[in-house]
Amino acid sequence: MTSQGSRSSETDMGYGPGTIKEPGFRYRPMGRDAEGMELYEIFIGPQHPASGHMRIVVRLDGDIIVNADPDIGYVHRTMEKLSETREYLKSIPLFERATIIDSANITWPYVRAVEQMLGVEAPLRAKYLRTLLAEINRISSHLYGFGLTGIFINHSTMYMWSFGDREIWVQLAEELTGARLTHTYIIPGGVRRDLPQGFKEKALKAIRYMERRLEDYMKIFVYNPVTVARFREVGVLTKNDASRLGIVGPNLRASGVHYDARIAEKYGAYPELDFEIPVMEEGDSLARLLVRIEEIKQSMRIIKQVLDKMPQGPFFADKYMRLIPPALRKHVAETGRIKLPGAFIRLKPPAGEAVARGEMGHGEVFYHIVSTGDTKPYRVRIITPAFRNVVLFRHLTRGARFMDLPVIYGSIDYFPPEGDR
Amino acid sequence: MSIADRIRRNPLYSLKMHAAAIATGLRYLFAKPRMTVRYPEYVIDLGRNYRGMIRLHKDKCISCSLCAQVCPASAMKMYKLPGEKKMYPGINYQRCIFCGFCVDICPVNALEHTPVHDIAEEDMEGMIYLPLPGRFDREWKSPAEEEGGRKVKVEFDEEEGLKHEPE
Amino acid sequence: MLGPLDPLINFILEPYFFSPFIYPGLTIGLVVLLTLIWAERKMAAKVQLRYGPLYVSKQIGGALQMIADALRFFFQEPIIPRQVDKIVFLATPALALTVTVLPFIFIPAAPSYVGVAVSYSLPLVLALGALIPVVIILMAWGANNKFTLVGGIREAFMTVGYEVALFISAFAAALYYKTLDLSVMVEKQASLGLPGIIINPIAGFVFFVAMLMASSKLPFDIVEGEQEIVAGPFTEYSGILYGLVMGASYLYLYVLMLVFVEMFLSGWLPVIHGLGSIYPALGGVMLFVKTYILLLFAVFLRGVYGRYRLDQALSLGWRRLVPLSLIAALWSFGLLIAGV
Repeated sequence: MTSQGSRSSETDMGYGPGTIKEPGFRYRPMGRDAEGMELYEIFIGPQHPASGHMRIVVRLDGDIIVNADPDIGYVHRTMEKLSETREYLKSIPLFERATIIDSANITWPYVRAVEQMLGVEAPLRAKYLRTLLAEINRISSHLYGFGLTGIFINHSTMYMWSFGDREIWVQLAEELTGARLTHTYIIPGGVRRDLPQGFKEKALKAIRYMERRLEDYMKIFVYNPVTVARFREVGVLTKNDASRLGIVGPNLRASGVHYDARIAEKYGAYPELDFEIPVMEEGDSLARLLVRIEEIKQSMRIIKQVLDKMPQGPFFADKYMRLIPPALRKHVAETGRIKLPGAFIRLKPPAGEAVARGEMGHGEVFYHIVSTGDTKPYRVRIITPAFRNVVLFRHLTRGARFMDLPVIYGSIDYFPPEGDR
Repeated sequence: MSIADRIRRNPLYSLKMHAAAIATGLRYLFAKPRMTVRYPEYVIDLGRNYRGMIRLHKDKCISCSLCAQVCPASAMKMYKLPGEKKMYPGINYQRCIFCGFCVDICPVNALEHTPVHDIAEEDMEGMIYLPLPGRFDREWKSPAEEEGGRKVKVEFDEEEGLKHEPE
Repeated sequence: MLGPLDPLINFILEPYFFSPFIYPGLTIGLVVLLTLIWAERKMAAKVQLRYGPLYVSKQIGGALQMIADALRFFFQEPIIPRQVDKIVFLATPALALTVTVLPFIFIPAAPSYVGVAVSYSLPLVLALGALIPVVIILMAWGANNKFTLVGGIREAFMTVGYEVALFISAFAAALYYKTLDLSVMVEKQASLGLPGIIINPIAGFVFFVAMLMASSKLPFDIVEGEQEIVAGPFTEYSGILYGLVMGASYLYLYVLMLVFVEMFLSGWLPVIHGLGSIYPALGGVMLFVKTYILLLFAVFLRGVYGRYRLDQALSLGWRRLVPLSLIAALWSFGLLIAGV
């Protein structure tokens, strides 16, 4: 759908003089583009049924989108700045709130970066437990995106189903961590709770249920002719453009690029597990949906393996366990819940820098931490996948039809709070 | 040729997939399970693993103030109440994010989570729980359960996903 | 022995009053409207593993929910934005409803039981229905809002998309019956002993799909397109004004469904022949039962489908439905020639 020729006018289409603003800042339905052509302007959001916490300024020539500008920042919470004012441990619950639906995956690289600076390594069992929660989170994140994609074409059944089935994974995560969404499970040195009794049986039941449900998803939504008509060959992202624009996550893989931070970075238990990175060549909206479906299946495969291979041993680094009194150590062994040493509040990494990346449901997240040897970081830079993918709004919508906008929005699985941080 | 392309190119195959979608819908129309838990009448038993409202055992507390220091949201603070020599923690539920760090750091297990989270207060002051008798040390119970809601247990099921069986 | 109320009852039971105002007209139309929206929500909820409306009258599954909603619409403040054309804004919802209920005059409820008996009832009903888009476009223009304007344009496009197929498929069926009178069509089906859908299945299918498009039910709720244009032409409406425009599309579906049942499902004739002779009013009940079951199916599709894109719906209309309806016309013609 995107026309190659119009890319040169990318910069001309902004808020230049004479484009949209009349004297007195009154918006008229008609704007003008650089060539003086009349365009119909529609502001989608922030008060709109399908905008999310953002605004999209759409300029239409008839039914064709000339330009769609994502106007982000409505849920900017200064997370990077806030993290400079708090101790390392206290930033974990903060960063979780960037992507509350995928909180394990977004905090894991941060914790790994802190661990690098502290010179601690999580025990093997903790790595497996982290992987377990990360994959549970990935599934629920994909289901969340799926539901929104469904309602974007008014398919309310897909919306309700995937939010309902997400509940199972949220429940599993709750049994493991004690919280539904903001798990705060992964902390420097390990994890906060051991695997509860009977978790494996529950997880296997959930997997078998989900496998069956995915077949129904395919019938009622993915291979529903209406959905195919709406998604096929809509918002095509070529392989070249995907790598040129720095797209990450399933959106990249749906365009034929085999890249996944789980493979590239080899963190957690992933090097020891057998799983595939689903890649599709088409690069259209339907391919992005199908890649996510395939990733859900792969995540379930990972969960099975993690539960089978789960090693025995401590789930928290010995370095910190030694700091707590023996009575509490016994308590930890009995209840499977961590007791933090008092020194944990003021973790003090030596001066230096650390970077880490990880694969979230939406794509790759990147952390860069600068420490001056204080209890608080000097600087934490977070690059979230949604922020990398937001450029797709502009890129994919050009030349598409107006009704394709929700489809493209849904298929790239943009999550405004994550993009805004 | 992929299924999607077959649907687009072949009208008869497309009709078949239309029929498959409608048949799936009809199957669920007459199937039994529902996901909804009708909340005030049925209350989900959150289990003892749940990180719900926090409770103080004042007799165990050694006033070390670690909980107040670790709190990422500054919800937990130390209060010295009139007539008492030591300071004890109090919690402000306007701020609490239920991360449970305070529970995890308490060296004497004086703080614990309760499996209750459906609490509402009438005013902002009511959300601040000072270490007074009947406040921060209170035994929590779900208001829905108190008003006659039946407790249901969450069970994983291969057919229905989550099952909610009354206890 | 004449009771004091007998003249009144006789008047009510006269076809020219009963048919437009009681059944199948306004009163039953209102009942259908309220129960159908409830049923739609309940069925969608069941497919989606939920309960749907429940807590208003819990014992009967929340059936009174729609009455509660209607009451809420009545008492909600209808906000009239400053930029609208006030007369058009206020008049069009009522006008839309009026145009929607007018066809009831010509729809027979039972043999020779019709408000105004004319031999052109089918084109009259369809022609009155074709006025609705005009009102909607007027409404969209009067509301003077970006989203309503887009909605109005979509309505215009959709009208072009379905109207041709709707008319041709209806006339294709009528061609075989050699009449444009709905009552006579049912009688023809009675004399043939076959419902019209078996005689001309293509026309029936095209009419059904075009009907979904005409009443903007899923997968063709393009005009309201919530995810792009909020509520389309109805964006600025609130309170009872919104209630009127929302109800109109369901009533139109009911009108078209009555026509469909009379044309293709042998109207008031019972499924088993000879049952109608037991009690004449049973015919009206049969018509209603058939119509209602099909209405339920039409709204059940909400649980299965998403929304087609505007150009896809148009190409469905022109590239698939119009040729199919022409084939249906040829089919009828062929049947006539063959003398079947």
